Amino acid sequence: MAASSSAGRVLTLCKQFQNVLRISSAINTPHCAANFTKYQPHVYRGKSPLAALSWSTPTSYLGQCRALHTTISRRGLEEFFDLPENWGETSVKSGAPWTAKQLRTKSNEDLHKLWYVLLKEKNMLLTLEQEAKRQRVQMPSPERLRKVERSIIRLETVVTERETALRLLQTGQEKGRPGDWRKNTFGYVYWYRFKEYAIPWYMNKRYKRKKFYTPKFVEPHIRLRLEKHIREKARKASLKKKTLAKLMEKFPQMKVSAP
Amino acid sequence: MPVTRLLYPLYQLGNPQLRIFRPNWFLTLVRPGKEQPPDTAQFRIPMEMTKCDVKNYLEKIYNVPVGAVRTRIQFGSNKKRNHLSQKVKQPDYKVAYVQLAQGQTFTFPDIFPEKDRTAAEGSVEEMQEKFLEDEKQKQKPDPRRGGVTEWFGL
Repeated sequence: MAASSSAGRVLTLCKQFQNVLRISSAINTPHCAANFTKYQPHVYRGKSPLAALSWSTPTSYLGQCRALHTTISRRGLEEFFDLPENWGETSVKSGAPWTAKQLRTKSNEDLHKLWYVLLKEKNMLLTLEQEAKRQRVQMPSPERLRKVERSIIRLETVVTERETALRLLQTGQEKGRPGDWRKNTFGYVYWYRFKEYAIPWYMNKRYKRKKFYTPKFVEPHIRLRLEKHIREKARKASLKKKTLAKLMEKFPQMKVSAP
Repeated sequence: MPVTRLLYPLYQLGNPQLRIFRPNWFLTLVRPGKEQPPDTAQFRIPMEMTKCDVKNYLEKIYNVPVGAVRTRIQFGSNKKRNHLSQKVKQPDYKVAYVQLAQGQTFTFPDIFPEKDRTAAEGSVEEMQEKFLEDEKQKQKPDPRRGGVTEWFGL
């Protein structure tokens, strides 16, 4: 049961690898099987199975090899829960979260699959958390949730990095969503991101109510705001100068670091 | 949150089907408060999800045959007040009742069964347990008095 379920969790990763993975001889099969069973569902650094699979794929080697057929897991709603042997434990072991550096070494297909692995893991942890609150029991190892969230955030940053790089190369656009620098009613200039509408802007009543200019009567307020800001800056600078002068008086030999 | 305010493209008749890669939605399977039919599973879903989204999510990612989905929004109470007498809002959430197809049934399992936890030999936990047991034993009254408390002299 443990082997099948842990294999089931990794098989979502390995579905594509059935075409690439070639088990060359009977000697290698127990080693590969051991790799699959050793994979813990809570190990976020799936480096060992993924790395081993990528190394042991000599695609040119076609002699005596048979493809490993892996079936997709058919466990359905059971995937919302942990492995049955972890039910009732006070703490469950889990590995370190994925770092951005590790994720950048993975291919897009791997990252896509990892996203869904992390998604399912997070769903499982959320159900566990809610059930623990319901039963008024402590959730075992809540840090797993934080680790998964961090991994997801890092995965997203890596994917957006790749997307921006591709977009820059192909079109020269820095941002995926078009936008513009616009002034709002309070005199602040900000990056307004465009939204898709079915009608042009001059027919859009809600859009026309939003003012992208500063009315005349707002200018005195802006002036006052500027004065306040300048006054604050001047106060900070004078405070710095005064403290420095005091220190120099007390300790004339003091070396002053140039700003 | 990793994804900042997603903007989905506008849909007009004839547009291609919207496909979402790497969905940022997380479902929580919950134990139903009220008795539900045996084929119904209860989920807490993000507010942005719809019935079709839930159906596709479960079918594509979890390979669960979904029959019908009904949703409702649960209002989170705004009645409680904190030590500063400020109103504290509990977040609203959407609940989805998913009926499974193909005659499948689902019962929410007991995830926290009572397990006999005996600490490992020679470990810190075992020593702690032993110490606590000794302390409790010291607090017990003298068994030779036959249940009579110390209040009665002699």
